[in-house]
Amino acid sequence: MPELIIRPRTLKELWKILPTISAKRKYLAGGTDLVTAANAGFDACDAWVDISGLKELQSVKETKTSVLIGAGVRIAGLEAWGAVRRWLPVLTAAIPHFASPSLRNMATVGGNAANASPCADAVCALCAERAEVILELKGKKRRLPLSALFKGPKQTGIKKDELITAFEVPKWPHTGAYLKLGPRAYFGISKAAVALAIELDGDKIKSASVALASVAPVPLMAVKTAGCITGRILSPETARAAAALVKTEVSPITDARSDADYRREMCGVLLERALLGCEERLKAEG
Amino acid sequence: MEKLFCVGKSVIRKDALIKAAGRARYAADYEFAGMLYAAAVRCPKPRIRILSISDSRAKKVPGYVTLVTYKDIKGPNKWPLVINDYPFLPETEARFQGETLALVVADTQKAAKTAARLVEIKYRELPFIDDPLKSMEKTAIKLYGEDNVFSKFVIKKGDAAKALKEAHTVVEEEFATNYQVHSYLETQGVIAVPETDGGLTVYSSTQCPFYVLDGVAAAAKLGYNKVKVIQTVTGGGFGGKEDVPALVAAHAAICALKAGKPVKLIYDRKEDFNSMSKRHPSWSKVAYAADKDGRITACVVKYVLDGGAYSTLSPIVLWRGTIHAAGPYKIENVFIETYAVATNKAPCGAFRGFGQPQICFAQESLIDELAAKLKMDPVDLRLKNILRPGDKTATGQMINDSCGLEELIKTVRERTNWDDRVQNAKYKMQNAGDIVTGIGFSAAYYGVSLGAKGRYLDRAGAYVNIYKDATVAVNVGNTEMGQGALTVLSQICAETLNAPYKNIKLEEVDTSKVSDSGPTVASRTTLMSGNAIIEAAAPLREKIFKTAFDMLILKGADAAKPMSASDGVFSIEGITVSFAEAVAECWSRRLKMGEQGWYAAPHTSYNMDDGQGDAYVIYSFSATAAEVEVDLKTGVVKALKIHAAYDVGKIINPTLAEGQAQGGILQGVSWALYENLVYKNGIMLNPNFTDYALATTADKPEYDITFIEKPYAGGPYKAKGLGEVPLIGVAAAVANAVKNAAGVRIKSVPLLPEKIWRELRNCLKVTPSAP
Repeated sequence: MPELIIRPRTLKELWKILPTISAKRKYLAGGTDLVTAANAGFDACDAWVDISGLKELQSVKETKTSVLIGAGVRIAGLEAWGAVRRWLPVLTAAIPHFASPSLRNMATVGGNAANASPCADAVCALCAERAEVILELKGKKRRLPLSALFKGPKQTGIKKDELITAFEVPKWPHTGAYLKLGPRAYFGISKAAVALAIELDGDKIKSASVALASVAPVPLMAVKTAGCITGRILSPETARAAAALVKTEVSPITDARSDADYRREMCGVLLERALLGCEERLKAEG
Repeated sequence: MEKLFCVGKSVIRKDALIKAAGRARYAADYEFAGMLYAAAVRCPKPRIRILSISDSRAKKVPGYVTLVTYKDIKGPNKWPLVINDYPFLPETEARFQGETLALVVADTQKAAKTAARLVEIKYRELPFIDDPLKSMEKTAIKLYGEDNVFSKFVIKKGDAAKALKEAHTVVEEEFATNYQVHSYLETQGVIAVPETDGGLTVYSSTQCPFYVLDGVAAAAKLGYNKVKVIQTVTGGGFGGKEDVPALVAAHAAICALKAGKPVKLIYDRKEDFNSMSKRHPSWSKVAYAADKDGRITACVVKYVLDGGAYSTLSPIVLWRGTIHAAGPYKIENVFIETYAVATNKAPCGAFRGFGQPQICFAQESLIDELAAKLKMDPVDLRLKNILRPGDKTATGQMINDSCGLEELIKTVRERTNWDDRVQNAKYKMQNAGDIVTGIGFSAAYYGVSLGAKGRYLDRAGAYVNIYKDATVAVNVGNTEMGQGALTVLSQICAETLNAPYKNIKLEEVDTSKVSDSGPTVASRTTLMSGNAIIEAAAPLREKIFKTAFDMLILKGADAAKPMSASDGVFSIEGITVSFAEAVAECWSRRLKMGEQGWYAAPHTSYNMDDGQGDAYVIYSFSATAAEVEVDLKTGVVKALKIHAAYDVGKIINPTLAEGQAQGGILQGVSWALYENLVYKNGIMLNPNFTDYALATTADKPEYDITFIEKPYAGGPYKAKGLGEVPLIGVAAAVANAVKNAAGVRIKSVPLLPEKIWRELRNCLKVTPSAP
């Protein structure tokens, strides 16, 4: 851990203070990745800039067309917001799969994105929700689709000192699922995970997005698969077709966590189950 | 027999409050004036020639004190254990990634860690071996002796080859198991404090303070009477704090002697993973032969343990595995050959079950395959062949009356509705969709304590001291590591003295207070220290009981009537004297109120040439059934419920026994299904809890645990030993249940979803109509 940890109270104060700190600095949000890395000797920073005091990052706001989630909102805090429960069914479904209760109490949505792990559960869910990420550098804002933020494992397009301030998720009338296959019942890094968001018109899929975790160098948008099921009836046949196609879109690896061929196959199994689950719900709702 | 007031009762743990309230002091919590910190410099590759070690960069770290290398070791550079091939610190060659090469001492932990990273090691990489079977090949590079075999054993009984040839049915399979990491919450930790007489006091998180004493005295070249080892509250051991704390303590000791100040050495999780002991990975080939009625006529086993870079406890781990390798069956013809082999990976050692769970997984899986081939129910097959009193084990030892295996198996069969489930298809019919359920069985026996191979260590001492106020201090040489020893031993002492339980205090183990009592391993503490306490307490009991009787007579009791003693009260027909009053009277009579006790295990024998003999004094037994569900699409297994029955003799504390059983089962489920340490090219890939997954409470099965107490006359209050028993049969039961549920035989632990998925896919290719 570095000798110096600085905790600005406002964004304005942050931009003012940054030039006075050593260039070997990092933002500290929930610390669940950063502190672990530091303890393992993988962090060579001179200073951490603790952004957990930035009020601007702490809340969820609702506009007419979107939900804005502050980057500093803790994972455990997400569910408390009615707008999240109402408009973000995939993210809501992902929360119980996210690490452990104690880690959810610390980890933030922004940190989950900035860490840029292909296995990030909240990020994968937000990608399926079609979130945009909002970044700020010295008062200058820019935005891009969240899925476009990632360049590779632990690599993003975030510039030096640029800060993720929020995620903007469009309000669209969708349902969905988050299915994860981890090393045990809960509290583990996924071998594969599927986030599915679909908008239905009767039993027809009007619009769909599919994101996957841990099966590509980045949180992956399965664009072809989403395209393939759009316009089709939500049915076991559609689910099977989607499962077959998604396996061709992913590029998993073999590592200490799992095997490439297994992961590829599981993408199909999970997506099929996600779609079948939506179909069952649709039937149950009549 | 007299009614017991304390033994057999679920009294509250002695350490419950301090642990629940966070007041327990672990090694890391101790502070001493002027204390320094050590950090290890570790070997980056599986095998290297050390060319030089330089601290020229490390020196610049503020707070840096000194570098410690093998040159600072005062005695011979060999850690005294079993074979003594492990140097305290390597001189020219290091043999596994993570091996301690040197240590850095600094005035803060952070400075020590930072400086350790800056120590420059110049080295040349050497060829290495990571596969034990390759290590046994003639052409393999030599890591140990002429054949890379640390240790080998054989058991020969009858003519197994002939019996195999003539048998009605033969099954033979190869099995493998992976590592298991102890995953104690508290990593290795020690503080060595130099004393004014040139000696050392060592505060160590350990199961075996006397091993620490051996290690520190050797490295520091000090007389044993100048080294005092005090066990700190130990946050879990499971075998992982049997041998290796001695190495860690020896390192701290030489740092402390060089710096002339107390030195604290606390491992972080990664270095603990990388360098400390593990359950041995194993490979085995097992064959059983049976006649047409299902009588097992022969068992042939070849069993290989991956010992890692140094032998540590491999020889005795292997020996226990060897003795139990044929399973708890009476078999006329047995041939078992076993090997512990050197590789360039972390040295493996003790882990709950000590070489037994690996081979039990193999042979109990194969027993089910034998039953299938014979078209017999696997429980019936077991009942036909198990050891009963009067039967002889693979080593020719006759089983005595303290054997409840048959009752255990029948109990579990009944409690699982076994016959209904296995023979009646209706349970299978309920399976819907991708999820199928199944049930599997296993049986095991366990030789309590150290047995013939460790008999020279199999003794224990106790000192029981009764103060004037009738409180009692007890010193023993075996440790509490979470398993409940403080409580169980207090109960034994209270019962023997007729003292109130609350009056008894077990002291922290201090090697200067009690004679070398051997290690706290092999489920031996209740038996060994319990008997030692009884021996120490017996003369005290006599004095107190006589004094209490005298006092009762003085108070007008009828001397012809029997005196009863229970829960700290002595009475004759309603006239009473308390334990405290009796003790006060003893003191005023100037009686000796402190006594030593000593217990040495009865004789065992073992012939190295044919493996015949009375290997252990007494055996505990277990029967385990696992109910599982298997997801046929993902291969994910969930252990739903574990039914188990144990004969471990008298249960001293039912709640603690239940806890030990539940913990052992969950650790067994965790090993069977989840724990997967991965090495690639001699480098450990997942030395952390992020990627080394163990079972959590969410993976916990439902437990159905039954104790059937077959008294052991030689045990304290007729107890045997429990700690390891519940883990041993779990993996086999789970694997048998997976076979029952999904139709696939997984022959390696852990039963990862990937393996099951692959097997299921292979089945589908062969028979498209399969599930």
